[in-house]
Amino acid sequence: MSLQNQIRKGSTETLILSLLAEEPMYGYQISQELHQRSGGYFEMKEGLLYPTLHRMAQEELLASEWRETGTARRRKYYAITDKGRRALSEQTTEWRTFIQKLMRLLDAPEGATPAG
Amino acid sequence: MPPTDIEQVLVSVRAQMDLDRETEHEVLEEIRSHLEEVVAEAQAQGADEAEALVQAAARFGVEEVGTTLQEVHAGWGTADAVIAAGLPVICALVLRWLVFAPDGTALGWPQVLVRPAFWTIALAALLVPLLKFERWRYALVSWGFFWIITVIFALGEAARW
Repeated sequence: MSLQNQIRKGSTETLILSLLAEEPMYGYQISQELHQRSGGYFEMKEGLLYPTLHRMAQEELLASEWRETGTARRRKYYAITDKGRRALSEQTTEWRTFIQKLMRLLDAPEGATPAG
Repeated sequence: MPPTDIEQVLVSVRAQMDLDRETEHEVLEEIRSHLEEVVAEAQAQGADEAEALVQAAARFGVEEVGTTLQEVHAGWGTADAVIAAGLPVICALVLRWLVFAPDGTALGWPQVLVRPAFWTIALAALLVPLLKFERWRYALVSWGFFWIITVIFALGEAARW
């Protein structure tokens, strides 16, 4: 698996929680939002979103409900739960720390030992 | 060979899964809804129906999704079944221990009616499966089992009186 794919895979849950913290969304809408907001960087097979959503629902990070639309089409909406919000907060902190530390290491002049 | 309608795509996904009917129906309905959205969008951008469906299936990643969904859902069915089978047995053993004397007679059974442990176990056995299990049929079986036992027990005692 390429580094890019590993990063995507590791961050999908956080990204989904982040989107759903704004408002409940259905699967296709989530995939479109991820695509648009990342300029295509977080693009993946759209179907692979569903195993992640279902696992997160099993872990009670998300709640889901079917809603009727005006076009006789049903959509399953996902909403973030309180547990999901706590997980988002923890994961956001973890990612910030990770990126900060990583950048400090990468930006350090050769031979220097980064502080902290 | 490219799919000619959404049903064919769903058949391909279903071929990768072996889930209980309720879960499978729920999963496939969600995928159908997704594919209909993608097809409608592609058609709005000028693609014909066949072309739109091929695009939708390619973007979706049919086989990989079916396998991954199977991995996510498979364990839960087994766990529910084990709990559904084990819970009535455990509760029945505890209640039997509370109600019956070591010789198997229920001579002192009215005394258990004042024991909080009896009512706690009995109410848990009657209500927890119905409230806790996500799959209604497991809940219904456990719930039904205990209500039947309760009715038999009550009728048996009433007949003896």
